Amino acid sequence: MRAYLALVSAGFRRQAAYRLALVSGLLTNLFFGVVRTSLFLALYQARPEAAVNGLDYQDALTYVWMIQALFGVIWVSWIWEFPESVRSGDFVTELTRPGDPWLRQLAYELGRTGQLLVFRSTLPLLGAALVLPLALPTTVPGALATVASMLLAVVVSFEVRYLFGLAAFWTADFRAPFSIAFPLLWLVGGFTIPVDYFPGPVRAAAEASPLSAMVMAPIHVAIGWPAWPVLAGQAAWVVVLGLVSRGGLALACRRMVVHGG
Amino acid sequence: MAELARPTGGGLAVYGRLVSAGVRGRVYRPGWLLVRTIGSGLIILADGFAVALVVDRFGTLAGWSAPEVVLLVALSAAGQGLGLLLGDRLEPTYFSELVRRGTFDQVLVRPTSPLAWLIATQVEARYVGRLLAGVGMVAWAADRSGVVWSGGHLLVALLALVCCATLVLSICVLGAALTFATVEGSEVVNIFIYGGVTLTGYPVQIYGSVLRFLFVWVVPFALAVYVPALVLLGRTGPPGLPAALIWVSPVATAGFTGLAALGWRHGLRHYVGTGS
Repeated sequence: MRAYLALVSAGFRRQAAYRLALVSGLLTNLFFGVVRTSLFLALYQARPEAAVNGLDYQDALTYVWMIQALFGVIWVSWIWEFPESVRSGDFVTELTRPGDPWLRQLAYELGRTGQLLVFRSTLPLLGAALVLPLALPTTVPGALATVASMLLAVVVSFEVRYLFGLAAFWTADFRAPFSIAFPLLWLVGGFTIPVDYFPGPVRAAAEASPLSAMVMAPIHVAIGWPAWPVLAGQAAWVVVLGLVSRGGLALACRRMVVHGG
Repeated sequence: MAELARPTGGGLAVYGRLVSAGVRGRVYRPGWLLVRTIGSGLIILADGFAVALVVDRFGTLAGWSAPEVVLLVALSAAGQGLGLLLGDRLEPTYFSELVRRGTFDQVLVRPTSPLAWLIATQVEARYVGRLLAGVGMVAWAADRSGVVWSGGHLLVALLALVCCATLVLSICVLGAALTFATVEGSEVVNIFIYGGVTLTGYPVQIYGSVLRFLFVWVVPFALAVYVPALVLLGRTGPPGLPAALIWVSPVATAGFTGLAALGWRHGLRHYVGTGS
């Protein structure tokens, strides 16, 4: 356990070294946040009081800035490090180290994303909350539930990325399967518009997919949906995807051939 | 490569051969290239679908119907596809790699223009998918919003495509020039490449004055895409940005390209390598 905690702290400190990346990430969040805010303000201008598919304009603005807060920790900048290490062969050393390779990687990633949650996610959210009427939680339990939901989303994202990374064991062009799946993830996950606006069956399918645990769940908790069912659904996906990605790793290790001398 | 280096009266023919060599180098796994080409088109279709869905849900966006907004998304996506086809590898994330490893020093000793060499050898064929998907979406949106495809309108659409692509490529060049100074790549350039295109996908009147000024007169994406779309749709445009500005679009694009060229020359002249 102490070894894993050391990895969390190492990940946190490593991420803290990228100051320039942090600043440019924040600028990117600010830019896209402003553009999307303009879009939703214009859309709701015709009917400021009405809720559309359960979202009023405060919910929509909260969605916009929660997405900015989540983006850096879900589509992390180091997404290709794991498959690259498989292709270069460096991953083999991971297998010779003590402990569980999957858990070690999770611990390290939690440290890195933890740093981003503290320094990158909070700033756009708090900044936006100062000037816009966001529907963020105002009670301590509500805030804690939102943070818990964001952490679960981070773990789900790690597992989803792990599954795509595993492709590197089978093909050197591991980005290709991702590139064809990404548009679907992008749309169905709710990165570009809230899943709530989708027509009935598509919305139901999106909400039944693990992507909702990764993107929309923390947003729904933030805008005041009952927290326990959402958190339970996320936890269930953490377990299922965890088992699948660990199974995938076991399968990959069995067929792995180590080249070189 | 020996035949490429031979300084025969080649001129453009040399670059043609560089492009073909670069593309052939990348199609050693044609199946996966096809998958990535489709993927690069699908992402634009997903964006267009989402925009159509959300605008439709609300009725209009600043008085624009869903197909009319999709026309904006499609024109800028097609332009981005064409621009990134040529300029993707100049983005700081990739270009900083060339600078850090000293690979760029080798480019400098070749008997070609360094910038033309970089663009010609690093054509990213998969962006053809984005270009084609964008053009297909333009056709769909134009049909739905009642655009009549006269010869003049075709020219206007082509102008929008070329101007948008030129702006994207110019931003890539500026980003590369910036990388001479920063060495480390910076994400900020992406705000202009991807952000500029995202922003151009919606009618300009939804933005505040700062964003509007930035994207009309500094990085003139609005002049390159929004104004031609006004002409196609037969709209007069908001105050300060009338459809008549279509004549300014190519001038503003050329001006920005000139700035990018100056930036590149400045960066190149002060390039000293990274040592070792």
